[in-house]
Amino acid sequence: MSILRGETLRLRGWAPKAGWLAWRNYDFQLTTYAILLTLFGLAMAYSNSVGSSHVPLTLASPFVRSIMWAVIAVVVLGLTTVFDYKWLRSLAWPLYIINIGLLILTLRFGGGTGEAGSAARWIQVGGFQFQFSELAKIIMVVVFAAYLADHQSTIKSPWTIIGALVILVPPWILVMLQPDLGTSLVLVATITGLLFMSGASLFWLGTLAAAVVAAIPFVWSHMADYQQARLLTLLNPGADPQHAGYQIHQAETAVNAGGCCGKGLTNGNVDLPVGTTDFVWGVLAEELGFIGGMVVLILFALLLWRLLACSWRSNDPFATFIGCGMATMIFFQVFVNVGMVMGLVPVTGIPLPFITYGGASMVSLAAGLGFIQSTNLRRERPEW
Amino acid sequence: MSAPLDGYRSEPKNVYRFGAFVLVVAVGITALSTRMAYLQIVQAQAAYQAGADTQQTAAQSVASTRGLIFDATGKPLATNVVDYSVTVTPSDLPLDQETTVAYRLGAVLNLDPIYIETKIDSTTGSLYVPVKIADGISAQIARFIEENSDALPGVEVVVSSRRQYLQPTLFSDIIGYEGQITASQYKNWQALGYSNADIVGQAGLENQYEQVLRGTYGTQKVVLDSAGKPIPGLVNTTGDPVPGDSLTLNIDIQEQQYARDALAWGLDASKVTKGVIIVENPQNGKILAMVSLPSYDDQVFSDGISDTAFQKLLSDPDQPLLNKAIGGQYAPGSTYKLVTGTAGLASGPPLTAPPVGGTVGSLTPSIDTSSTLLSGPFVVIGDRPYKEWNDQGWGPLNIYQGVAYSSDTFFYQLALLVGIDKLTYWADQYGFGKPTGIDLPETATGIVPTNDWKQANYKYPMYLGEIAQAGIGQGYDASTPLQLLDAYCALANGGTVWQPQVVSSIKNGATGDVTTIQPVAENRLKSQDGKPISPDVLTTMRIATRDVVTSRHTGNLVDLPIKVAGKTGTAEFNLPDKNGNLPYHEWFVGYVPANPYVDDFTKPDSQLAVLAFIYGADTYANVATEVVKLYLMKHYKLKGDPFSVRTDGYIPPWVARTTNFYGQNTARD
Repeated sequence: MSILRGETLRLRGWAPKAGWLAWRNYDFQLTTYAILLTLFGLAMAYSNSVGSSHVPLTLASPFVRSIMWAVIAVVVLGLTTVFDYKWLRSLAWPLYIINIGLLILTLRFGGGTGEAGSAARWIQVGGFQFQFSELAKIIMVVVFAAYLADHQSTIKSPWTIIGALVILVPPWILVMLQPDLGTSLVLVATITGLLFMSGASLFWLGTLAAAVVAAIPFVWSHMADYQQARLLTLLNPGADPQHAGYQIHQAETAVNAGGCCGKGLTNGNVDLPVGTTDFVWGVLAEELGFIGGMVVLILFALLLWRLLACSWRSNDPFATFIGCGMATMIFFQVFVNVGMVMGLVPVTGIPLPFITYGGASMVSLAAGLGFIQSTNLRRERPEW
Repeated sequence: MSAPLDGYRSEPKNVYRFGAFVLVVAVGITALSTRMAYLQIVQAQAAYQAGADTQQTAAQSVASTRGLIFDATGKPLATNVVDYSVTVTPSDLPLDQETTVAYRLGAVLNLDPIYIETKIDSTTGSLYVPVKIADGISAQIARFIEENSDALPGVEVVVSSRRQYLQPTLFSDIIGYEGQITASQYKNWQALGYSNADIVGQAGLENQYEQVLRGTYGTQKVVLDSAGKPIPGLVNTTGDPVPGDSLTLNIDIQEQQYARDALAWGLDASKVTKGVIIVENPQNGKILAMVSLPSYDDQVFSDGISDTAFQKLLSDPDQPLLNKAIGGQYAPGSTYKLVTGTAGLASGPPLTAPPVGGTVGSLTPSIDTSSTLLSGPFVVIGDRPYKEWNDQGWGPLNIYQGVAYSSDTFFYQLALLVGIDKLTYWADQYGFGKPTGIDLPETATGIVPTNDWKQANYKYPMYLGEIAQAGIGQGYDASTPLQLLDAYCALANGGTVWQPQVVSSIKNGATGDVTTIQPVAENRLKSQDGKPISPDVLTTMRIATRDVVTSRHTGNLVDLPIKVAGKTGTAEFNLPDKNGNLPYHEWFVGYVPANPYVDDFTKPDSQLAVLAFIYGADTYANVATEVVKLYLMKHYKLKGDPFSVRTDGYIPPWVARTTNFYGQNTARD
């Protein structure tokens, strides 16, 4: 039966490798929302570069840098769209090895500052800093999608879940060593979401989650004082609770000050640490107000909707899981970042996709969206 | 569950799980939107009315750990201690609880509750300004108060760092003290991040190395409430403090103690209060000891000196706060004959055509080692007689004898022979009349009288008598003790005037890297023709200074097993006492060869030079020589009592000058 059905599919299948008709399946909405969100990000970078004192723009300013990165991102989006995503499936394991190599490279030669004084977050190449942990998020989406697509037959087995965790552990440890708690949480959230969406056993997922929760007090009580302090510090990117208190207080003040319509771009004047990166939402809310904030949130909602739609429409589990993984990753980051600024979620260093200033994030997201458009163009069925 | 076909599966999607995901996203975005609406629409109205949309933040600095100071052997001289003090902020203390809190606090701090209450009530400043109740309390009590803060509203424990000086009186002149930043310091240092409330080094090394010791203060932003008070907990560290660099000195506590003991003995013996002793290595300018008495206790400054105590120190005629080794300027007396002798021996106008008081002719020496000048009871210059110090004279003297007997008439004549221009040229070469470059806040440069200087200050050029007096370190001549020692170090090392250095190395507070301070040559003695001074001239002067000792001009100093060369000096100043005698400063500058047990002063290899200075001594013999002798005996751990090392005719220095005793071989000049 299945053979027959498969044959039928084959016969009905319409999978052009090229040709303009394929572009009928290009999801223009998805790209449009992404571009609009990126424009908001550029606006924030402009506000940050110019500031309320209207500092003249320089080549090194975040705004000019962001435009350069946006151009690169558009090229990456185009290339990954044209690229046949099915190749990715066979490339998943080489990509995984490269990913680990890049993370080790970052640890070895990376620069940056973090909670513990010095941290290895990015690699500097010719005046540009590149944060490979951003790329790692996308690569891990592809790797997990390939893994789960390969294990569809045993998807209900606990071993599939354990196998996924085994894949997760090496990059996760490397990211934690940087130390970058935010990215490590994104990786965990992505694999959890993907396991859920791929149909993994809810019983075993629940059992695992319960086991982790149950183990926390036990592990905690067996930790030395300094280890506990370390962990508390890690949970607080500001190195001390007072510091985080300042950030939260200032962020809420900024959001408050924005009011309904905002103060207008570049008019924000609340002192906000890391206002270009982790707390960019505070600046956005202050300058663009409730209306601007809602526009951005709705754009995110639409983008997520399109991601899920693309994911749903595909008949290739690999393609479906890439879409689900991207959606999980973006949603988790949006919720934690925005929620953190507004005091809903503890302070964690997670960037806001498209909005936060950062070349690696922009290029990685472009690559991810390009892969999804690639799945659109190469769908087995033209309609559903 | 069907097996995948060719890698594909028709239904990998679970509609319930997709639905659940959409639901989670919808709930999440809704939650964010709701929160956004609450913060920006509902709460913003209230915040706007409270005027909180204009966020008030203030930048504050976070003190860095001040660098430490160590002696040459690594023993700490200045460290930091944690200081707990208890304050009460009246605005945070409800009036009806004041008595209770004062009673509780009194019990904890062992203070009278009424005293505490009075202190709180008597504050004249803002109610928001904390009132200090007690400081220097123990860590246990501080902890107890913090733990019971609920029962003690308004009471706070303030932790601060305070300097602790471990050798408070021995090193106070070198290390100095800290104090409130002055208006001019604030103006100069504001750009470096200093605030107008900072405590900064005000004297000594604390002042000289202020920026080095301080490190870099951290910065933080605090949120202010509507009353302008920082809200506790809302702090953003924008820059971490960098600890200050630590200093290691060239001075060993032991040497400093030897020097101080020797000087204290000398002052006690001559019944005066002011004096200086400095020990320096002539080969590199390292200061090995430096004591200026009377001194003060710099720990008193760190503990918080009272106004009256500070005023008392300031108005003390003995100037305890002044490091007289570098800040006092005194007539150098006969020690200055080094300059006159060098000027005579070095290239310059010839002896045959003395240009009295005049210009430089052909560059040949005025005298050589065989030239003699007749020393009589006096020489007449102009219409005044200038007396020999022993009122008799010695007959014809060559340069060795002139220095050895410290003949005034010899040097009067020699000064007139070389002329004022050449004399001041050599004074300048030896470093007189200008800063020595020592790494301490130097306040005096001394005076080298030139024709121009005299013209500018007195409207006349130098008279011949004044030139003669300038040749023996009297008249207008003034020098700091350190300048004089530096000049003799140049003699002892063959012609280099080194920059005196107190600090030997600086350890970076952040990296721990140690930077060793290299010796710096301020000047290498040059003749007026621009060529380095002939080594023969300095060898001659070194042997002459050794003759001072061997001729028993310095009494029994020659009887020490170590070989000392040096020059005494006595400079009369001020007004005669009731016996018609002028009070005078006493000097001795000496040095020992690298091998102190071998009598060879032809080599410029001395590793140790000592200067002692006694202000206003009134003893018959030169007590400064005795101080140096005592120091050298301690330094070289020589056996025996310095007073038992005596030879015939030795008069102990504490014999008062008024005994009017003549005819022994301990000369006072």
